[in-house]
Amino acid sequence: MAKAFKYGLKGITGHLEPAERELLRGLIDDVISMLEPSEAPDQDPLAALVGLDMDVRQPTDRALLRLLPNVMKDDDAGSLEFRQLTERSLRENKIGALRAAAMGLDRKELTLTQEEARLWSMALNDIRLVLAERLDIRDEADADHVHAMQDWSQAEDVESYLALVYNFTTWLQESLVQSMMASMDRR
Amino acid sequence: MTTTVATAIGVDVEERTETSEQSSTAVLTAPDIPWNLVVWNDPVNLMSYVSFVFQSYFGYPEAKANKLMLEVHRKGRSIVAHGAKEQVEQHAVAMHSYGLWATVEKASSAGTGKGGARG
Repeated sequence: MAKAFKYGLKGITGHLEPAERELLRGLIDDVISMLEPSEAPDQDPLAALVGLDMDVRQPTDRALLRLLPNVMKDDDAGSLEFRQLTERSLRENKIGALRAAAMGLDRKELTLTQEEARLWSMALNDIRLVLAERLDIRDEADADHVHAMQDWSQAEDVESYLALVYNFTTWLQESLVQSMMASMDRR
Repeated sequence: MTTTVATAIGVDVEERTETSEQSSTAVLTAPDIPWNLVVWNDPVNLMSYVSFVFQSYFGYPEAKANKLMLEVHRKGRSIVAHGAKEQVEQHAVAMHSYGLWATVEKASSAGTGKGGARG
């Protein structure tokens, strides 16, 4: 069984079983593959180098749109312009955090520095955002409904399995954030 | 936002230094402050995580971070910083990196939400 993250003498520590590590690796790979920009063959290499992407469009996939939201509420043109300037580096930032978490999973001991913990919390958050879209969590009532699924023997279809995975990552992130707060208090 | 059993909302009002908050906004004078950074509620992000982001990214003390977080949770949105457009946009990208749902808007168009970065 996984153990909640805690803050102690060795820093922020946690414990995950091999199967749980494998599960998280799979989730991380899924989110990375969503975020990896599709390289257009005729793309201007200089524009790519400085992070511009003039061909970028607002994502049609809801989960991807939640990861890469519009920066203005009622201005699609303004949001698109901003997206052209920033989306590529935002994707790279998120992929960086996810890769850092994946690397942490390869270590035997799960002991995280402050910075590693921060990257883990970002990665877990993005995983949860994607799972939540797949589970159709639109409001607090939906979230409560999913949260009620705690028993792995109830996992009989894809949705209930996803709900359990979502609750596991929620629990893991919550314990991680509490540990980070505890370590901040003692700086 | 979502909360789990272990989430204790800051009764502890221990103040931390506000260095990064000051460095991020103090240089601005009044005419330079026409844009707001708005963070929106969603049913996924943990209340503890949102407060953590406000503390670690903006350098807000825990009490202020919790106040803004609760405003997001209860009112659906909160203005968590303001400043020149470029600066507020930079904050928005940072919030998106953390997975928070943030937008920028002209300060004049803000219908709701006090509790801005520097009241």
